[in-house]
Amino acid sequence: MKLAPLSVPYRALQKAGRLAITLVVLGSVGTGVGFGGALVAAGIGGAIALALAYEFAYYQRYQYTFTDDTFDIESGVLNRREREIPYGRVQNVDISRNVIQRLLGLSAINLETAGGGSTEAAIRYVTADAATTIQDEIRRRKRRENQRRRTATKAADDTEGDTADGGSETTDSAATREFDEPDEELLFEISPSELALAGILSFDPRVPGLLFAVFTGSIPFVSPVVPEPAAVATTGLDPTLVLFVMGVVLLVGLVVLSWVVGAISAVVNYWGFRLTRSETELRYERGLLQRYSGTIPFEKIQTVTISDNPLKRRAGYATLAVETAGYAPGQANDRGSEAAVPIAGEDRIRRLAEEIDSCETGAFNRPPKRIRRRYLARYLIALAAVTGLLYAGSVVIDAAAGLPWYLPLVGVFLAPIAAHYKWLHRGYRLGADHFVTRNGVWNRETKRVPYHRLQTVIDSRTLFQRRWRVATVIGDTAGSLSLLGNDAAAVDIEVDDAVSLRSELRDRLQASLADRRRQRTGWSAVAQEEGQPGGTTSTADANESTGGEANTTADDEHRRK
Amino acid sequence: MNALNSRIRIIWVLRSLVGALILGGAATGVAVYRSASLSIPAGLTALFVILGVVHAILRYRNWRYVVNDDALYLERGVLTQVRTEVPLVRIQHVDSRRSAFERLVGLASTVVYTAGSRGADVTIPGLTPDDASDLRERLKGLAIDADGEDAV
Repeated sequence: MKLAPLSVPYRALQKAGRLAITLVVLGSVGTGVGFGGALVAAGIGGAIALALAYEFAYYQRYQYTFTDDTFDIESGVLNRREREIPYGRVQNVDISRNVIQRLLGLSAINLETAGGGSTEAAIRYVTADAATTIQDEIRRRKRRENQRRRTATKAADDTEGDTADGGSETTDSAATREFDEPDEELLFEISPSELALAGILSFDPRVPGLLFAVFTGSIPFVSPVVPEPAAVATTGLDPTLVLFVMGVVLLVGLVVLSWVVGAISAVVNYWGFRLTRSETELRYERGLLQRYSGTIPFEKIQTVTISDNPLKRRAGYATLAVETAGYAPGQANDRGSEAAVPIAGEDRIRRLAEEIDSCETGAFNRPPKRIRRRYLARYLIALAAVTGLLYAGSVVIDAAAGLPWYLPLVGVFLAPIAAHYKWLHRGYRLGADHFVTRNGVWNRETKRVPYHRLQTVIDSRTLFQRRWRVATVIGDTAGSLSLLGNDAAAVDIEVDDAVSLRSELRDRLQASLADRRRQRTGWSAVAQEEGQPGGTTSTADANESTGGEANTTADDEHRRK
Repeated sequence: MNALNSRIRIIWVLRSLVGALILGGAATGVAVYRSASLSIPAGLTALFVILGVVHAILRYRNWRYVVNDDALYLERGVLTQVRTEVPLVRIQHVDSRRSAFERLVGLASTVVYTAGSRGADVTIPGLTPDDASDLRERLKGLAIDADGEDAV
């Protein structure tokens, strides 16, 4: 199959555009030396013609096919490349379309495979229909592949060939029937009010940093705006006061700007956000200017995080994030988990989390009460440090002489409240299938890690923690967000509790792994004997085993390397 | 619980010596440049050396590891004490390696990798080369026996 014909002019213009910019820059430099505008125009024309020719050749060469067990791509004009991607290794198929692409009816496809965040194959521009076909086809074949491998292994294990043959045939046909109609269930669709709220509550912290970087380079540009002390003196105003007011105005402007930018980007990103589930994966769709859609297999989901803050709690809203192993879709774009629901009614979030990975609710074990004194001390020390710095600044720097350095001391009244809430929000719970932790003073995060997703269990005690006889227990997962130190952690619990929690986590991990293994073998045995198209239970088990199988292959490959 | 080979202290002391000498050298440079007395950098270097030696000794004393039925358990740390449990099912692969310092005193380390993010690689230093490769083989065997199909 080929790319969309319209991809030729689109890609050519993309490429020529880049060339043209270079030429214009060169031209503007060149005019000084004697290049004419005509020459530049001719250059641009030539570039477009060249790009068109190249892209036509590219289009001619590009060919993708579905073979029995691999997805093949042949491409390349000067350097030819042939790729065969086994269906079993494909993890995600993401489709994205920006405004222009949507007008032209084009879609970009990224194929992700296990092992890292790199994109295995980027198909640049097929028609929208073809994109959906590719996505569906790969998913269908991937499942059939898993199914076949499972029955094959089972047949090999089985000593009596006859029964095995009969059994695998029935399961196969049952499987195909089942896979041909992937029923999708809508889990979540963002409502306009939620989208608006998401916008209002988004604050882009990168904006101040960016502005700072820009403005530090243009101090000379700012300084004429700042009134000269002498000039201010004639108006009879206090120069430090003027400086202070200007600072406040600047700060407010910065906050408002960050807020507006954050709001716009949130609305643009989450426009028309939909989350659907099929039996084995979550599928998301979102975006106004650029439309993203992709899938997240259930077996890759590591943790589910629900977060809220006092404002959201008051209004009955919460945020949900789903973390996957290794690769988070859209990681490169720094947006984190794509299956994150920015904001929605608390009950909806809870139901959604339940759908994705059900977990019972319950009370949290809190750290000992005495630890609040430690938090209070920490806040007070931080406040003292800031105040001290400001004071030193006001003494050393003349211009800042009138600075109200004592302002942070207001925080002394807030510190006990914050310390209390820090303690109140902290806790952990050992559920039937999940290790659940909660943390955060303002932004309260509840993380649930299924026991079978735990990697290492780390118990650490700093010098200060030892003085308070407490410890922190971290349940590490293969999640991608945890790179930021966002693991599920039971912070500041009694040392004895930490020791027992650690061994408890280890035991539960083993128990739940054994359980899953039993389920898997149990399922294939059932399929073998009955060859049933399947009640709901066996389908659910099939999902589980698909996950296991995929992991085994990835693991084997890893070892072989 | 196994302790590390006592020669690991030599490595740690050597490493801290290198650090102390670099810092001391920098301090001396500053002192010479500002033509101040050399007693301050000398004192600083001595302090770093003492701290490094004490740290190395305490670190050695606190380091313990053991391979249990289903997990590798480590205990270490001077200021922050860390206890790590690496379930054998989760082991992705195991390395043994020898740095230049380690070769100097005839030691090696074994590194255990998991798919996790925070404790993704766990290093057990201070093993004799034979012990290191034995441990590697043993962990590998145990990890395979433990049925690594659930490594993620």
